Amino acid sequence: MRSNPVYRRERAVRARSLRIPLIVFVFNGLLAAVALLGMYSAVEHVKASSFIQYSNFLQLYVFVVTLEFLMLIFIMPALTSGSISGERERRTLELLFTTRMPPSKIVTGKLCSAFGQLFLLIVSSFPVVVLTFVYGSMSVQDIGLLFLCYVTAALLTGGIGILFSCLMRRSTLANVCTYGVLLLLMAGTYMLNVFLYGISRTKADSMLPVAGQLRPAADSGAAVYLLLLNPGTTFIEILGSQAVGSVDGMLISSFLGNRPLNVVTGNWILVSLGVQLLLAVCLIWGAILLLKRRE
Amino acid sequence: MLKIRGLKKKFKNFQVLDGLDMDIEEGALYGFVGPNGAGKTTAIRVITGLLRPDGGTVEIGGRDAFAYREQVKQEFGYVPDEFGMYDNLKVREYMEFFASCYGLDGLVARNRCMELLEQMKLLDKEDDYVDSLSRGIKQRLCLARAMIHDPRFLVLDEPTSGMDPRVRMEFTEILREMCAEGKTILISSHILSELSRMCTDIGIIDAGKIVLSGSMSEILRKVNDSNPLRIRLCGEREAAVDVLKEDRRVQTITIRDGDIVVNFHGDQTAEAELLARLIACGARINGFFREQGDLESVFMQLTNHEFQKVVFHSEE
Repeated sequence: MRSNPVYRRERAVRARSLRIPLIVFVFNGLLAAVALLGMYSAVEHVKASSFIQYSNFLQLYVFVVTLEFLMLIFIMPALTSGSISGERERRTLELLFTTRMPPSKIVTGKLCSAFGQLFLLIVSSFPVVVLTFVYGSMSVQDIGLLFLCYVTAALLTGGIGILFSCLMRRSTLANVCTYGVLLLLMAGTYMLNVFLYGISRTKADSMLPVAGQLRPAADSGAAVYLLLLNPGTTFIEILGSQAVGSVDGMLISSFLGNRPLNVVTGNWILVSLGVQLLLAVCLIWGAILLLKRRE
Repeated sequence: MLKIRGLKKKFKNFQVLDGLDMDIEEGALYGFVGPNGAGKTTAIRVITGLLRPDGGTVEIGGRDAFAYREQVKQEFGYVPDEFGMYDNLKVREYMEFFASCYGLDGLVARNRCMELLEQMKLLDKEDDYVDSLSRGIKQRLCLARAMIHDPRFLVLDEPTSGMDPRVRMEFTEILREMCAEGKTILISSHILSELSRMCTDIGIIDAGKIVLSGSMSEILRKVNDSNPLRIRLCGEREAAVDVLKEDRRVQTITIRDGDIVVNFHGDQTAEAELLARLIACGARINGFFREQGDLESVFMQLTNHEFQKVVFHSEE
């Protein structure tokens, strides 16, 4: 990647800009403030009641990593959706097209630059996340899975951003479309499942009990598989496996009813991470093809 | 160096390029002229590979520009009408970035950048941010950028628009130097007087076609015959104007600086006849000659689509 001119240029510009230190400061400042206030409250509760409620620290962990996840989800599209369209607006994209640099290098350079900024945010936030482990800890595997979830979500949202950046002439429009699709992917798929689950539940409740038969449990049907595309659901599943009981109502299992687990639902985290990585690769590939066609 | 045959490009219902043919010899400084909307920028964008034509061929350095796109990219440098600058880069960084886009890195890139900055008299600006530069300096930087991979052919789309005369002169000098070094340059501009001073060859495009092309001197010689006649009179000119109005070879009559300027279509014999008739009507003539041609008059003649009627017009 160091040989990619676009990446090197972005890195050079970023290195002397005040924007990145400011984002790191605000991002970690917010995380630290939440973590320290949470800890202060938990410790004060211990002092007042002489009773240590360990679930408080677990909740604190859930809160901090969720905040981190949400920030990443919203920062990555902002970094990528204006990257190619910005070059077009500056009229530098056509200059790049007349050079010998292939479109794939332009896209990967931009993506890696945004990813580098995000990686900096994730790594710089580790000390704050570790604060929440003062009264407990977690395995390296758990940390690794959480990190993989962050990387996947960043690639997916970055892929959406860069695709729209190649597709749209204006950065503002690319931004709006990126966040629109992201909203559809995260809130849309989840709300669809909630809606279908609600209908199914109404149906199940209205059925008369038959002697000797279990009343069927409500589920959201095949729509649950749409959640494989939703990085938020994967993150919640990971949290559910690490901090048991903290996000119970939001887990996939609540949409499955009493259907037996299959390969996908039984290995939801890994399958959804795989699907999202594949989707991210497709989006990035799509962006490269679009740029090649416009070259 | 450049050979274009039957180039066509249509945007919706508008045929921008309509069978454009063009030849530029190696080492030529070719002025590309045409009215707004004639297809200059579209042609340039097709030549540089930024637009796909609907038909026709473009050869640069003997290679098909579309079939051998990657190899052809090494052959030309492009300066667009809008500079395309990274404002947050320093001059040296800007040059080195484009050097790396052509695969030049390290010391080779650095030396090439320094060499070009020196040639463009920008060495003292190497640590300045691009956004702090004036328009003229930005244009020189843009030219240096286009030269970074040492191309044989330079394509410049209206590079001097918005520049003051001094900066334009400096820029023209740089282009002449480059041409003397063996570079082939295609330059489009609206400043015709400047092009006529600097270019070795010229091509006039109108409605997507080349309407006149050739060496500068050859074109001026050709058009001299169709330049206005200037008739200088002593005393009354009414009688002379009446004679001119009656002549069907006279298209326009203008009074300029006391002289009668006539667009007259005819050879030297016809001119002699006209002179004789003017003398016969009692006009006291002390000057009767064809105006010397310039690029502007050629341009106006070739790109004027409206039928000119015989009119009498005074500029006094």
